[in-house]
Amino acid sequence: MRKAAKAVALLLSIILIVSSLAACSTKNEGNKGTGATAKPTDAPKATDAPNGEEPKTGIDTSKRVELQFYMLGNAPKDIDFIQSEINKMALEDLNATVKFNYTTWTDWDQKYKLLLGSGQQVDLIFTAEWTQYQSYAKRGAFLPIDDLLPVAAPVLNDFVPADMWEAVKIDGKIYTVPATYKEYVTDGFVWREDLRKKYDLPTPVDIPTFEQYLEGIKKNEPDMVPLSMNSDMKTNLSDRLRGISHDPIGAVGYGLGIRYESPTDVYPYWGSEEHLNDLVTLKRWQDNNYMVKNVLSVKDTLQDQITSGKAAALLGDNPTRYNDMVIKIQAAHPDWELGYHPFPMTNGIATPVHPIHNGFAIPASSNNAERALAFYEKMVTDKRYNLLTQYGVEGKNYEVKDGYYTMIGDSNSNGFPREAMNGWAWRNPEYMLFDKNYDGVKKIFDELDKIQVPDKFTGFAEDYSGYQAERAALEQVEKQYLYPLTAGLVKDVEKGLKEFMDKAKAAGLEKIQQEYTKQWLQYVQEQGIK
Amino acid sequence: MKIKEDSYMKGFRIVAVIVIVCASLACLFPFLLIISASFTQNESIIREGYKLVPSVFSMEGYRTVFQFPKQVLDAYSVTVFTTIVGTTLGLFLMTMAGYVLQRRDFKYRNIFSFFIYFTTLFGGGLVPWYILITKYLKLTDTLTVLIYPGLMTPFLIILMKNFIRSAVPDEVVESAKIDGANDFTIYSRIVLQLSMPGIATVGLFLALHYWNDWFTSSLFINDTSKYQLQYYLYNVINTMSFIAGMGAGTGISLGQELPTESTKMAMSIIVTGPILLLYPFVQRYFVKGLTIGAVKG
Repeated sequence: MRKAAKAVALLLSIILIVSSLAACSTKNEGNKGTGATAKPTDAPKATDAPNGEEPKTGIDTSKRVELQFYMLGNAPKDIDFIQSEINKMALEDLNATVKFNYTTWTDWDQKYKLLLGSGQQVDLIFTAEWTQYQSYAKRGAFLPIDDLLPVAAPVLNDFVPADMWEAVKIDGKIYTVPATYKEYVTDGFVWREDLRKKYDLPTPVDIPTFEQYLEGIKKNEPDMVPLSMNSDMKTNLSDRLRGISHDPIGAVGYGLGIRYESPTDVYPYWGSEEHLNDLVTLKRWQDNNYMVKNVLSVKDTLQDQITSGKAAALLGDNPTRYNDMVIKIQAAHPDWELGYHPFPMTNGIATPVHPIHNGFAIPASSNNAERALAFYEKMVTDKRYNLLTQYGVEGKNYEVKDGYYTMIGDSNSNGFPREAMNGWAWRNPEYMLFDKNYDGVKKIFDELDKIQVPDKFTGFAEDYSGYQAERAALEQVEKQYLYPLTAGLVKDVEKGLKEFMDKAKAAGLEKIQQEYTKQWLQYVQEQGIK
Repeated sequence: MKIKEDSYMKGFRIVAVIVIVCASLACLFPFLLIISASFTQNESIIREGYKLVPSVFSMEGYRTVFQFPKQVLDAYSVTVFTTIVGTTLGLFLMTMAGYVLQRRDFKYRNIFSFFIYFTTLFGGGLVPWYILITKYLKLTDTLTVLIYPGLMTPFLIILMKNFIRSAVPDEVVESAKIDGANDFTIYSRIVLQLSMPGIATVGLFLALHYWNDWFTSSLFINDTSKYQLQYYLYNVINTMSFIAGMGAGTGISLGQELPTESTKMAMSIIVTGPILLLYPFVQRYFVKGLTIGAVKG
């Protein structure tokens, strides 16, 4: 008896060990495998059979289903009401109800991974290049919808232009429904126009004029910080400085540079003459006190620093956010004024967002792929669904005055402010309503439309599985050695740069650069980008 | 009659008092900053930084929070509920487990102890756990999921077991049995009474765990009215830093729902305030529980 019990105990503990080890090893593959293996095969089968039986949608809607809809961010207060209204319509149209789920912004990337990797029932999920759409699609996390589209969502299939479908393809298959609304998230200089007029300073159009502006502010407004900056050196300072001065194709990583006109020509930026000159410029900005000394520990947003009157200029921000600042300043300080100069006006690289920037995909684990797609078609192309999920209830959440969107109450008291469901992906340009304030952005967009050029970079899916360890090490080195250099806090720039390069090389910079270049050149060749 | 203090003791006391005063000031200082910031106008915080005395006094932070207190109150009631229910239920289960595991006449006690101990060394990890709860137990969006995973903590069970072993001699159990008490009576009338200090300690650990928990909310709760308090607060701050960090490339509007610095501070005060007031009163038991356990060693 005792022996038997001992044996059982031993056996159980062995099983526990094995299963826990197995869990560790499959964890990575879980994303690739779990859902993808089983589902894609039976989904097309299901669509073929009932083809044409239901003339309305072309899919079998006899069984009532509940769709799990996942979006990033926070749900608006009135979500329950909107959901019940949508469900009333969806039940009638598709015999389906939907549950809108939100991940919040806390650990959203981890949750996103779990949603796709656990095989949990998810029918629709948001995708973007910053949620690693390309790499998830490559690993089989999403269902290819090429065959499903004409059957389940014919209207949507025609609504999205063919070149956009083409652009979101990964390895020849469509995995996401792209948003058709065209916008620009290109950067531009932002500055206090009232101060510029007051002291007769030049209008910033490039780095030298921007610097003159900063100098003018420093001289005339000693209490103000000329440049709004915080601790995020890479995105807020060096990427933007490069954006305006070196015509980059996009935010290329790992200290490499690719110019827009010559995509096949990848050059090392870190450690180059160009890099050194940029660092010297930044050192000068620091020495002349255009930036605060403790910039590496500032956590305030760049925009808050402008709207509170602490700082006078911002190196780069997109038109929409510039407009948000204008609105805020108009409310709090009507006598202030902001100016804006888009970088594309200077360097000509006006790239509208890439189609994969906003989209919705059907995860491989979904059991209701066709219904999900049909529902998503409704969200985009049916005006009732679209307006309700973008703007809330007319008369309760918003009003339309002279064709403009007007919020009722303010964003605190209104249970559903404009686009509160984070519906960036199902925006429909035909139904979109804009606030009067948004005219400023539209004007900038119109200007950029005139000189627009295609985005050659965003479609590229980097696969860093081959150099993950080096990548993490490099990131650390960058923070430790490059950030202080970028902030202009290192006395001897040349020596500091050399030290950083040594450390970066030790961390495996060259391996990463080689591999990245190889992948990029392959992509360029495949896509025929010139 | 008073024993005369020598000058050495006097010197020591003076030094000790100075050190402790400095230490407590250092602890108090950040808190005072938060209080003052919560009463400061947001703009002046960004322009001039935090100050001990608000440079521009304003109640806007508190006004924003209490304009729609529903979310905060919901989060409060969820946390209070899970803390009370979780602690009571957890204590009940763990004292039972501890009691049974230390009974010498329970044949398989070592094996069972080993299983419990084993899970502290080898676990399935996050993904299997997530799959278990969402797919098999289907506990997403329930209050159960906030309570259930914390009910049986191996560490606390072992602590409880050892405590009961040292506090309740076998002979007491035996004599109770002779007097005609059944096992449950022994547990409730004798073991529980004798191990009160241990229960207080474990209970405090448990209560703290439930009060500070945000991770389960983060993973399994979609319904905003079921957020735990800590998660609610954490989420507000994360939203802020996410939008600030990612926004430029993603085109996400900064327009709405961004809490200002002073709102954040006001919220922290509202969230932590009651516990701060409660703590001095509960702390007594905490210290007592720890020292009693220690002396017995």
